Amino acid sequence: MPGIIPVKQPELPLRSRHRVSVDRFNDILPTTLPHADVPDGVFVVVPAYNEAPAIGAVLQELRTVSRHVVVVDDGSTDSTLETARAWATYILRHPINCGQGAALQTGIDYALLRGAEYIVTFDADGQHRVEDIAALLSPILSGECDITLGSRFLGTSVGIPPIRQKMLRLGVLFTRLVNGVNLTDAHNGLRAFSRRAAQRINLRLDRMAHATELIDQVRQSGLPFKEVPVQIRYTPYSLRKGQSTRGAIRIALHYLLGRVLQ
Amino acid sequence: MNLFQILAVAVVTGLLALSIVAMARGWATRREGLAWAFVWLCTGVAIARPDLTTFVAQALGIRRGADLVLYCAVIVMLVGFFMVYARLRRLRRDLTLLTRHLAIRDAASTYLTNQPVPPNDKIN
Repeated sequence: MPGIIPVKQPELPLRSRHRVSVDRFNDILPTTLPHADVPDGVFVVVPAYNEAPAIGAVLQELRTVSRHVVVVDDGSTDSTLETARAWATYILRHPINCGQGAALQTGIDYALLRGAEYIVTFDADGQHRVEDIAALLSPILSGECDITLGSRFLGTSVGIPPIRQKMLRLGVLFTRLVNGVNLTDAHNGLRAFSRRAAQRINLRLDRMAHATELIDQVRQSGLPFKEVPVQIRYTPYSLRKGQSTRGAIRIALHYLLGRVLQ
Repeated sequence: MNLFQILAVAVVTGLLALSIVAMARGWATRREGLAWAFVWLCTGVAIARPDLTTFVAQALGIRRGADLVLYCAVIVMLVGFFMVYARLRRLRRDLTLLTRHLAIRDAASTYLTNQPVPPNDKIN
């Protein structure tokens, strides 16, 4: 990570250092983690932009599988930051909105700084299931590969609208044409990396085009990767936060332009 | 020369002088100063003697001098747009890097407060 120097953590506000708050969280958080399949070195990175209605529940669930939950608040204008503060282990805030790609990269960099051995990326809108994390990690833990990508088409999707399904298929086709990688689901936010794989990820495209860029870098890293079936929960909330068809076209153009210009 | 030509040539001459002064005083690099001086010189000549542009245009196979000026203007503008766009992207990229750097520098760790406190980490 060139240019990023770890500095001393700022002092926590007096209030949150108070004993009472520790005891309060002790009641809520389990001291032993129920998932033996998820080792302690796993950091979960959650990029969030205006996700206040959903992020609380997502983080609460995540805390049952990992002690290290990194939330990157990407300049939210709602109460995402305040909600995340109650549950996240580490909170990072972009002073201005930079897009999901940048937020992911910030989270990955920070997790690596903190000594993460494995990094899982997880969307803040509640579309992923915490149970799938162990499945994503197991091929990496067994040394079979370094990167796992969640695929909703290998698994089952609950309540996926037909138009969204067609659009995602087109996205897969786009990835196949542009990246030369054969994947069943190129735009899934649930992924897992080993430390050395995460070190080779350097997302430069700010906005949503990073998903395709990430596949590029995965392929160029030469590290083995595989897709793992995961389930997506489509809720009215996550659908509203997702991409419209027009947005998808814009992302494709942005990605191609980025390849030409950089 | 008609009134427009007199006014336009006066303005262009001023700009030409400005670019030379800027170059002499080191406000602009030598190359920039010369490039701008050349642009203003051509503009002045084209305004004062439109028949000269026709002469150049016909040498290039374009009938009217005004068409030549139009084509040149369009090309310069397109190149200019592209350069500005590329610069905007680079600026945006730098802004993102700065934002990310700040976020990591100012990261707030709630690790101590949210976790059961390990014996070595006790807060007094």
